[in-house]
Amino acid sequence: MGKGRPFLEIFTYALDEDYRFPILEVFAFLFALGTFVFADFAAYGQTGEALAYSSVSTLCGFPLLFIFVVLILKNVAYGLGGDLDRGVMQTLFSYPLKRRYILRARLLSGLGMALLLFLGIQIFGLFLLAPDVILTYPGTVFWTYAAQLCSPALLLAGLVLLLALRLKRGGLALLIGVVLLFAGLVVSGFVTSIAYGTGSALVLKIWAVINPNSALQSYYLGTLWFPSEIWVPTFSEVLLYLGAGYLIVAATFVAGYAYFERRLEI
Amino acid sequence: MSLILVDDLAKSYGRVVAVDGLSLRVEEGSIMGLIGPNGAGKTTTIKIILGLLKPNRGFVRVFDEEPWDNQDIKPKIGVIYERAYFPSRHKVFDYLKRVCRIFGKPESRAREVLALTRFEDAHDRTIKALSAGMLQKFAVAHALIKEPRLIIADEPTSNLDPEARRELLDLILQLHRDENVTFLISSHVLPELSRVCESVAIINKGKVWAVGSLTELSEKLGARTTRISTDNPEALGELIRKLEYVNRVEVDSRGVSVGVLAGEDERLYEDVPRLAKKAEAKIVGIETGTASLEELFRLAVKSTQGEDHRWEKVDHS
Repeated sequence: MGKGRPFLEIFTYALDEDYRFPILEVFAFLFALGTFVFADFAAYGQTGEALAYSSVSTLCGFPLLFIFVVLILKNVAYGLGGDLDRGVMQTLFSYPLKRRYILRARLLSGLGMALLLFLGIQIFGLFLLAPDVILTYPGTVFWTYAAQLCSPALLLAGLVLLLALRLKRGGLALLIGVVLLFAGLVVSGFVTSIAYGTGSALVLKIWAVINPNSALQSYYLGTLWFPSEIWVPTFSEVLLYLGAGYLIVAATFVAGYAYFERRLEI
Repeated sequence: MSLILVDDLAKSYGRVVAVDGLSLRVEEGSIMGLIGPNGAGKTTTIKIILGLLKPNRGFVRVFDEEPWDNQDIKPKIGVIYERAYFPSRHKVFDYLKRVCRIFGKPESRAREVLALTRFEDAHDRTIKALSAGMLQKFAVAHALIKEPRLIIADEPTSNLDPEARRELLDLILQLHRDENVTFLISSHVLPELSRVCESVAIINKGKVWAVGSLTELSEKLGARTTRISTDNPEALGELIRKLEYVNRVEVDSRGVSVGVLAGEDERLYEDVPRLAKKAEAKIVGIETGTASLEELFRLAVKSTQGEDHRWEKVDHS
């Protein structure tokens, strides 16, 4: 028996569970609302790439932080954790599919579809509201989305995946995920304050490993948002921080896969 | 051919030892029951066999393969859990059709298993709207979709009403007879197990303490019961209780039921007339029979509590 059909069936099962009516519709509406309502291209006298960065950041900031993250917390922490909690995973494990494919189907639905929905609406909104930005600075748009998505969204998804697998309790994984999200926001504020207070770039650099968007922001808007004398990274450095950020994200997912495949007992 | 082969299995949860050196063999075409008190290690054993848990030690083969994350053996094994776990928002028939597609079966198989389990009425209901008993029936239908060669059931009748229990037991016997399906059934409902199982493994403290048919186990464990019908059961029971080879005496209004150590039946038959005379009791009848599964189970529980040491004398092979 090929594994294509069982995989597809478990993927569509996961879609049914994650996006049952009207969840998909509500989130699509919220993404659209967030995208169009929070769009702000006035950009305080910026031009060029800085304007492109600011435009994309304002466009995706709110929907990413407060809608996309909620969706992945719901799907990954609560959905996957709930499957373990309620015992549904035992039933899924009785189907002729390797464990890694079951997790892949669950993540493709919970995370992949959420990503597709979010980016689809965002890019559509960007084309509609500021076609010049996306056509003139596609590279900046790409890097901004990559950095914005890395942390907290994808990092949080990886962490709640590990939490859900370890705790096997969807509700608790969701709660800890929310706490982590707000803890990240608080830490971000502290880091900026410490950098201003001490005049040292070290904390900013450490934080940029976890949150590469802070490096990208500093690169594009350094003179506006951070005192340039503290830290303005080169673009190569930004790419290094971005790479490090995605390595951490990848590590959380690899750890999740390895645990699910080799250690998870239910 | 052994469909399930388990040797020297051990599994602990922290400091709690759930399974400790358990060995078991389930032959193709057999119906084997697993009995034992709560916490004996039955569910842990079943989960290891199903590849849901990893043993700390030991050897497990199902269809001659390692069960952990093994997709090849899954189409051959039907599973019925004590509590059925399914995606609750789906409709019964829709979900069964999905399972048919997963196992490469025609969707008509979904209708067949609904008929087989007499569950057609629930066809259009959502899974979360099913009662516990109906959910259990659904679990049976779900297990049968793939036309398994082996069905592993953990307390399969626990939520069923008497009629549904009878139907399920009939179905088990039918599948065994017509399709040579092998069963491993863990249950606390012992009369049901004794109705369908050809052999029983008694599990206690994480070990298999004895395996065999009811008759073999009774012989092996000395759990045969001698029933003495008398007009003065109280007095006779008191005297019998003092015999050193007697391990169990139950007195009721019509007589005394006596359990003796293996091989001591004849001695009891010799002693009863003397004791009856002393107790001024008239013996109406005396006969010895095979112990029920309940009696064997009770012995296992007593053993857990340290009240009975006959297990130590038993050859556990």
